[in-house]
Amino acid sequence: MAKFILRKAEPKDVSDILRLIKELAKFEEMEEQVKLTEKDLLEDGFGDHPFYHCLVAEIPEEQSSDGYTVIAFAMYYFTYDPWIGKLLYLEDFYVMQQYRGLGIGSKILQVLSETAVKTRCSSMHFIVAENNTKSIEFYKHRGATDLSYEEGWRLFAINKMELRKEATPAAKIG
Amino acid sequence: MMLCVIMTYFSVGRGRITARIYLLQYGVHADPDSRIRMNFRLRDSTVDDCKDIARMLMELAEYEKVTDLVKIGQKDLEQDGFSNTPFFRGVIAEVPEDQKSKDGHVKVGYALYFFSYSSWKGRCVYLEDLYVMPEFRGKGIGKALMSKVAQLGLEVGCTQMNFIVLNWNKSSLEFYTRQGCIDITEKLGYHWMSCGENALKKLANSDPVDES
Repeated sequence: MAKFILRKAEPKDVSDILRLIKELAKFEEMEEQVKLTEKDLLEDGFGDHPFYHCLVAEIPEEQSSDGYTVIAFAMYYFTYDPWIGKLLYLEDFYVMQQYRGLGIGSKILQVLSETAVKTRCSSMHFIVAENNTKSIEFYKHRGATDLSYEEGWRLFAINKMELRKEATPAAKIG
Repeated sequence: MMLCVIMTYFSVGRGRITARIYLLQYGVHADPDSRIRMNFRLRDSTVDDCKDIARMLMELAEYEKVTDLVKIGQKDLEQDGFSNTPFFRGVIAEVPEDQKSKDGHVKVGYALYFFSYSSWKGRCVYLEDLYVMPEFRGKGIGKALMSKVAQLGLEVGCTQMNFIVLNWNKSSLEFYTRQGCIDITEKLGYHWMSCGENALKKLANSDPVDES
């Protein structure tokens, strides 16, 4: 089994985090959608009020086949449901292909779940593409519920242009 | 014009000008759909609003006959929303005293939101809850609350606002799609997954070697 450590991401990791974000996006055939830069990741993840938290998995240099030692990551943040309280939201979770099947993904999920329990989160939420049947099975096997399927929830997005239209002058009083 | 009026109010204070300023402090909204004029104002929520937010949460839960699903109350909201690291933020819709509800409330609606993050686009805002008391609906308050959250999101550099809608709520689905919102579940096939409390505890105590 590969030796690896899991640790909190540090500012020096932003280049690897962006690389892994792009690899995951490429796997989802959405690489051109990634607009984030290293500068954004630095500013948004390591200030006084970070927008996200990140775990990275690191292997010793001698075990690396391509020069990379940061070979997996999980990006998460805390959300809120006013009926049940705090939740942990898993935004991205990825292990480089050549390092899969070694327990790294499961270990990341365990540490995230421990974090969620310690911070008194009621639940951990995330989204999965419905054609990613392998991932859906992986999560369902570990007790996850598909809320879109079971309860009919649909996720909506308003993008920047429409957001500007939405933020109309009428709302600026008060 | 609106900005001048608000500055006048704060610099003059109460007294003989109160009546005129009172009217102008609260925005007058003419909802083009309903032709009804409604005086209300929006402001950031404070810890003192938690009692009314909890009240309105329960109103909604009672209406949906799911009060047993509400596990938190006023104290949790106070702790989770108003500490050094708030887990949510709120906007309150308030009406003047002479337009208060049948039960005597001036806080008649709210929106709860928090900042989230997209690994593709960066800062986002998530609209978690939006509620207006039934007797104050159809007067533009809901739309104003949503606009306010959008505005607050843009101010801190958010490029996206997210929220969820139930698939049977056809009128809402159509409304949001007409506003330019995208149904991510329909378009990209993304499903919302949840690991509840029992699954979380099991995962936290699992031995990853056995799982892989």
